Formats: sequence, C-alpha cells, structure tokens
Amino acid sequence: MAEVVFDQASRIYTPGAKPAVDSLDLTVADGELVVLVGPSGSGKSTALRMLAGLEPIDAGSVRIDGRDVVDVPSKDRDIAMVFQNYALYPSKTVAENMAFPLKMRGMDKEERGRRVRQAAEMLGLTDFLDRKPKAMSGGQRQRVAMGRAIVREPQVFLMDEPLSNLDAKMRVQTRAQIAELQNRLAVSTVYVTHDQVEAMTMGDRVAVLADGKLQQYATPPELYDRPTNAFVAGFIGSPAMNLLDLPRSSTGVTLGGVEVPLPREISDAAGSRDRITVGIRPEDWVLESTDADAGSVIKAVVDVVEELGSESYLYAHLAEDTSTSIVVRGPGRVKVRFGDPIAVRPNPEALHVFDVETGQRLP
Amino acid sequence: MAVTTSTPPDERTPDTAEGAPEPRRRRGNAVDVWLGVIAWVVGIAFFFPVFWMVLTSFKTEADAYTPTPKIIFEPTLEQYEGVFSSGIGPYLANSVGATVISTLLVLLLAIPAAFALSLRPVQKTSDVLFFFISTKMLPVVAAIVPIYVVVNEIGALDNIWTLIVLYTGMNLPIAVWMMRSFFLEVPGELLEQASIDGAPLWRTLREIVLPIISPGIFATALICVIFAWNEFFFAVNLTAANAGTVPVFLVGFITSEGLYWAQLSAAATLAALPVVIAGWVAQNKLVQGLSFGAVK
Amino acid sequence: MTTTLERPAPDKQAGGAPMIDRAEGWRRRAPLLPALIFTIIVTQIPFLLTIFYSLQSWNLVRPGSQSFVWFQNYADVFTDSQFRQVALNTVVMTLGSVLIAVALGLVLALLLNRQFFGRGVVRTLLITPFLITPVAAALLWRTVLLDPTLGLVNFVLSPFGASGTEWISEFPLASVMAALVWQWTPFMMLLLLAGLQSQPTDQLEAARVDGANSWSIFRELTLPHLRRFIELGVVLGTIYLVNTFDTVYMMTQGGPGVASANLPFYIYQRAFLGFDIGQSAAMGVVVVILTLIAATFALRLLFRTFSGEEEAA
Repeated sequence: MAEVVFDQASRIYTPGAKPAVDSLDLTVADGELVVLVGPSGSGKSTALRMLAGLEPIDAGSVRIDGRDVVDVPSKDRDIAMVFQNYALYPSKTVAENMAFPLKMRGMDKEERGRRVRQAAEMLGLTDFLDRKPKAMSGGQRQRVAMGRAIVREPQVFLMDEPLSNLDAKMRVQTRAQIAELQNRLAVSTVYVTHDQVEAMTMGDRVAVLADGKLQQYATPPELYDRPTNAFVAGFIGSPAMNLLDLPRSSTGVTLGGVEVPLPREISDAAGSRDRITVGIRPEDWVLESTDADAGSVIKAVVDVVEELGSESYLYAHLAEDTSTSIVVRGPGRVKVRFGDPIAVRPNPEALHVFDVETGQRLP
Repeated sequence: MAVTTSTPPDERTPDTAEGAPEPRRRRGNAVDVWLGVIAWVVGIAFFFPVFWMVLTSFKTEADAYTPTPKIIFEPTLEQYEGVFSSGIGPYLANSVGATVISTLLVLLLAIPAAFALSLRPVQKTSDVLFFFISTKMLPVVAAIVPIYVVVNEIGALDNIWTLIVLYTGMNLPIAVWMMRSFFLEVPGELLEQASIDGAPLWRTLREIVLPIISPGIFATALICVIFAWNEFFFAVNLTAANAGTVPVFLVGFITSEGLYWAQLSAAATLAALPVVIAGWVAQNKLVQGLSFGAVK
Repeated sequence: MTTTLERPAPDKQAGGAPMIDRAEGWRRRAPLLPALIFTIIVTQIPFLLTIFYSLQSWNLVRPGSQSFVWFQNYADVFTDSQFRQVALNTVVMTLGSVLIAVALGLVLALLLNRQFFGRGVVRTLLITPFLITPVAAALLWRTVLLDPTLGLVNFVLSPFGASGTEWISEFPLASVMAALVWQWTPFMMLLLLAGLQSQPTDQLEAARVDGANSWSIFRELTLPHLRRFIELGVVLGTIYLVNTFDTVYMMTQGGPGVASANLPFYIYQRAFLGFDIGQSAAMGVVVVILTLIAATFALRLLFRTFSGEEEAA
C-alpha cells in the first residue's frame, strides 16, 4: 500500500502563463480517501492527471510510495483510474474490459479469470460479464469501470468525477458504495469532484483548490468549522455561508444599523482594520420576534422561502440596507412568506471573520 | 431494379423540422401527405433517366427507337451479350484493378497519416491538413500536360500502374480528411485508459481504436472506389487499349459501333452499376467524404 | 515524456521535457510522411513542370521544335479570343450549375427532412444520378434524353409544342449544365439534409412555443443555420465542377465551335489534339492562377467551416 505525495508539483501549459496547478503540496496517507474539490478551472483534474501520468509534471515532484514518478509512464505507476465517461472499450465485453489491464501485465489467464469473477461478485456484475458496454445502463457501466480498477489491485485509485454522469438517486447510492468499497479495500484513493456534498460525504480529507492553488486541506468537519479563507468558506456548505463586508465599530461590526459585538480574540485579530468580512452560516442566525427592540435585532424582508420539510431557508434583504442579502435557516413549516418582515441576530460564537483584501481567516 | 433501401442517417420524430406547425392534426396530416407525394414524384423524376437507361438496355434496337417511348416490350439480354462480345472484359478488369489497388494504397497511406493528424498530432497539424485540401483546389487540367510528358518519357503510357498512382494521389487528400474525422471521434479517455492499462501503442490501435473506426475505414474505401471507378480525364488521356478503364471503353464503343441506344444503354448500365451499388451502401458517408469531413 | 496519447490541445508539449521533444516529434511525424511525400510528388511536381513548359515553344508533332520563348505563350493566351470565350463559359457553367444545384438541393432537402412513407427509398432514388459514371450519364443525356426526334425530353414536352428541338446543337451550354445539375443536385441535397438534421430540435420547438409559424422559423432559424452548409456546398461544388471534363467531352465536344467548351476541355484540345505543349501549359498556369484567386476566397470560407467544426468537436 502506498502514500501519495505532491511536492511543489506544478503544471504549466504555456510558459509564462499562470500555472494550471501551482506548487501543489499534498500528502495522501496510506489507505486514505482524499477528495480534490473546486470549481471548474481550479486545477483539480489536472492534478489528478499529473498523478496518473497523463499530464507532465513541469516542476516539483509527485511520489507514490516514496518513489518519484515524474519520469515514470502511467502504466508503470501502479495506479488505476476511473474516468468521468468510464472509458470502457466498446469492442470488448465486460469481462474482457476488466481483464485487459491484467492481460497487458502478462498475468496468466486463470488468475485473470479469478480476479475478474471476484470483482464482478463484489460489484454485482456477475450476470453481465458477457455483455458489451453498449448494452448496459449508466450505473452498470460505472460499476464496470470500478471493477476494472479493482482487479488491478493497484497502489492508488484515481477517480475523475466518476459519478457526474449518473442521475441524482443513483449518485447518492453509488457514492456510499464507493466509500464503503474503498474502506474495505483500504487502497489510497484520490477522488476529483466539483460537488462539495460529494467531497464532504466521501473524503477522509478534502483538498479545496481554486485557480491552481491549494486553498485548504483538512477533514470535512474542520473545513466546515474553520475555513481558512473566504473562498473555502463560501465554497463549502449549501446554501453558502453569508459573507458580508462590514465596517468596524467600537465593540464589533455594524450590520443593518445594528452593533454586532465580536468575541475578544476575533476583535484582537482584526486589529486596526476599518472593514472586515464576516461570515455567518445560514444556521448561525437566530430568528427573533419582529417586535423586539430595534437596537438589538437586524430587520430584514423575505424574498424567497425554500421549504424543505425538516427545515427551511429564508432568502431576505436587510430593511436598512436593501442591497445586502442574507440566507437564514429557519424551522420546517415556517409561517413567513414573500414580503414578510423578519428579525434576526447572528450567533456571536459561530462567526467567521476574514480580511477584506486577502480573504484570510482572522485569527 | 432491386432498390436496397438504407435507413436515413438520423431517424427523427415527425414534425421536428419546419413545416406542419398547425396544431390541428388533420390539416397537418393533409399537408404532410401532399409533401410526401411531391417528394416521391421528384424522386422518381430524378431517377427516371436511370430507370429508362436500364429499361432500354433490355430492349432490342427496334424497340429502343420508337417515336413513342415503349414501356411494354419483350426483354432481351442480347445487348449485354453484344457488349461482352465486343470486349468490355479487359476494360472491366482494368477498372477493377485500378480501383481496388489504388483504394488499398490510399488506405495504407491515409490511415497512418490521419492518425498523425489526430490522436497523436504533429506540430502544424492544420497546415498539413490545408496542404492536403489545397491540392484538390488546383485544377487537374493544369497538370495533365507534364504528367503526359513524364509518363510518355518513362514509357508508362497505357499502363495500369500509372492510373493507380494518379488515382491514389487524387483520393488521398479526401481519405486523410475523412479518416481524421473518424479518429477524432475516438474518445480521448479510452486512449488514456489504455495507456494506464499498459497497452503498447500498436496494441491500443489494433484492439481498441480499429474496432471503433472500422465503419469509417469502410466508408472511406467506398468513396475512393466511387471516384476511381468514375474517373475519366486521366484514363482517356493516358491509356488506350491495354490499360483502358470502363469509361474509356464506353467512348471507344460509341465511336466504333455508332450510337445504338439499346446496346449503349447496356454498356452504360454495366459501367455505372458497381458505383451505384457502392454509393447506395455508402450514402450516409458520401457527404462526409466529399466535404473533407466538414460535415459528419 | 510518457507513452501518453494526447488529444490535440494547444501547446501540449510546450512545457514538457525538451530533451525528448525532437525524437518524439519525429516519431509522431513518421506515419504522416509517406502520405505527405506521395502527395507532394504526385500533385506538386507536375505543377512546377507546367510552369517550366509554359515558357517554351514545344509542339509534339514537330520533334526538335522545343525552345525557350519566355512569356510568348502567355501573350498568345491573352490575345486568344477563343480562350476568353472558354473562360467565360467555364464561369457560367460552373457557377450556374452549382447555384441551380444548391437551390434545387435545398428544396429537396426540405422535402426529405420530414417523415413520410418510403423516405429512405426516395432518398436512394434521388442520390442515384450522382453515382452514375459521368461518361455514362453524359451519353444518356445526349441520346435517350435529348435526342431531337426520339428523346424523352421532347416526348414529354411535345404537348407544349416543343417537339423537334435540337437541344444539343441549339443550346449546347444549357444542355451540358442540365446534365451537371442533374448529377450534382443530389449531392447538395445530401449536404443540406445533413445540415438540417444537425439543427438542434429544441431550438425549433422553442420557436414553435414562441408562436413562430413555419415560414418565419425557416427564415429566422433554419436558413441562418444552413448558411454554413450552403456556403460549403457552393465551395465544394465549385471545386469539383470547375474540373468538369467528361460531360463536355461526351455531350458536345465543346461545340458548336467553342460554344460549350470549358477550360479543361479546351486545354485538352490544345494539348492532345493540337499537341501544343507550351500553349496548353501556359493556359494551365493561367487557370491555376485564376483558381488560386477563387480558392483563397473559398479557403477562407472553408477555414471558418472547419475551425467551427473543431470547436464543436
């Protein structure tokens, strides 16, 4: 089994231009499932393809199990990859597809058959072994692609948005299956997705990328609780965190004409800045009675109500400052509707504060 | 005539194109029926000369020359016998030889070239592609004089290999463009998967790429066949009795026999038949070939 | 570099290991070279020779007549009134046939782009003229169709009092063009049909939901969408038809006089009936220059078409 290390690894498509992947430092521990997540163009797929040997590593290095693989061709890196569109060979049956990498490694027929049967059983593909990919559903094809990766018994699994072509229900189901399978096989896995829900639910650790740079690499709870900058704060969580650019006051910040006090250590970290970016997750607002005293609560007017049954999300704009919109989580079966006034107060313990210019977390 | 129908390239549901926008079904149907009838009438009108040619080829000369064209008559094979006895055989053999060998040569040259211009592209790929296309823009007439002189000097006049070389040159650009468009349809992921799986290049090509593009190779070959078989300009100027192809035979046939319509129709039918069949089979790909793959 | 098979992407190799680039470059080029070299030899060298011959006075029937005359042949070509007539014929024949074929092809494509009984059969019938060996097709037109007394055309037109028309000798250029249009309309039809079928259905559905009638859908959506295909049809048709030789040779032999001769036929006459190598080579060069001018324009259109395709792919 293997540890994967990106050591200052860079990919530069055109010399002089901004690197697609910029000095990436990342360690995947043995048996760990790491998710690379980010918006399109963030470099997450490029990073995966560098590990796969499908893109050259222009600077720095990538190591698998301690071995520098910069000059090692894909086939000798002992990796298996699952592609977004599965990349099943259309002229080969399921069994032949799964056996192909083994055959290329010169494994004898008997052992090939044994491994293919074993993997097929694991994935419920036994009845489909003689089918061509064309005659299978999307979910089945996805499993064949998984099977082809499993039979290799590689040191590392690479998965490039393997669920993005499945429908919503299938995606949730397969998500759990992959996580379970990976746990059982305990093979180090690098998983790329643009879907932060997938990242949070599947990853042992999650690396958030943007503009070719690693933003934060942490466990899902830590990403959620202590986002290292405003980008991660806004990217992780749905609906997204409210990020408000607010002026400082003597004890805290002013929001919607109301003084919001800041905890001491945040206030200290903010130092002498005039303005700071304050992040408040939708669930970190407290809904108050609209009769409450004007100085202590923030008044807002509801634009949209998203009723999810167990909870609801209220999209509102501030009464004092109509250009500022906020999202507030409310209870299920909430009584308010479009145009109704609400009064909210942020939970001061759950505030995230960032520098306006750099977006860096304070403290 | 046995008409082999082939399915349209893209079966679509009715009313997807312009026309029949009327929400009321009945009127839409009436319009549809009439337009369908018109399409049939036009189709038959375009086909009729061909039909008439085939029909005439089964007539006696007396039946062929009537002021009121005859549809009912006693069919005879004597015209075909006449054509064969007047020596079309060697010409047919030449046509088959020139067509088949040049087509094989074209594929042999075009498939690797198309690969080098698609899956594993060389630098300046588009320049090379446009060089190929530009050779089709230069009129053949401007080259015929030196070709004749050179061929004459090296003693290769009336030699089937001369035609084979020229037909290969004539069809190669089309084949390169067409094969390239087929190569580009191979998903890149498949090739990446194969390289991760450790398949060597030739094995990837043989086991994975070839099965995917084989319909494309077939279509390309058919189009080369059509052009080579129908070619006349080089054939008439560079060959005579030894290496003449079927179109050359047709010309010689009418000058030596005079214009006997029934016999001439039989000869023309024989000349056209192989290509008509090839074209019917390849009709979906004809445009792709003629347009250098610009239209899929 | 690895054994990676890469998609054509801009500057893929730019940042890669420069040491191997050269070897890799040649490995990539190798499969291309046979085809490229073959094409250069077969198509380019004859043109260079054409230029060389065009500067000589050389008649095959007078051995030893070969001598260098510089631009005398060109001067002769430009003072040759027949040549001008033939050049004009070529333009009329090529563009006329192409435009008529495109217009007819458009109508047929629209007719075929709808569901009706036996559509596949009708399409097969329609494309057949395109497949008929041009020599055979020309023979067919000259005899069975256009014969003044026994031809089908005059028989069909006889109720309208057109019997006895000597099509080939009275309207030689139009007769040749009729045969060309008959052969090329099917191709245009196939091309435009492919164009129609590449139009996204949802656009048309959206337009219908928006309340557009079929004429405005055609004019506002379909025709702009087809524009590229129409341009392509015109350009390709011109490329292929400017080389027409078989039809002229078989139907009219360019006659009467040069009334229906086009440049390919005229050059052929000069070279193979007049054996005047220098003259015909000079005409060839003139044709190439004229074609190059047209082709530059055409290539620009084509380039747009092809690069559009690339982006979509």
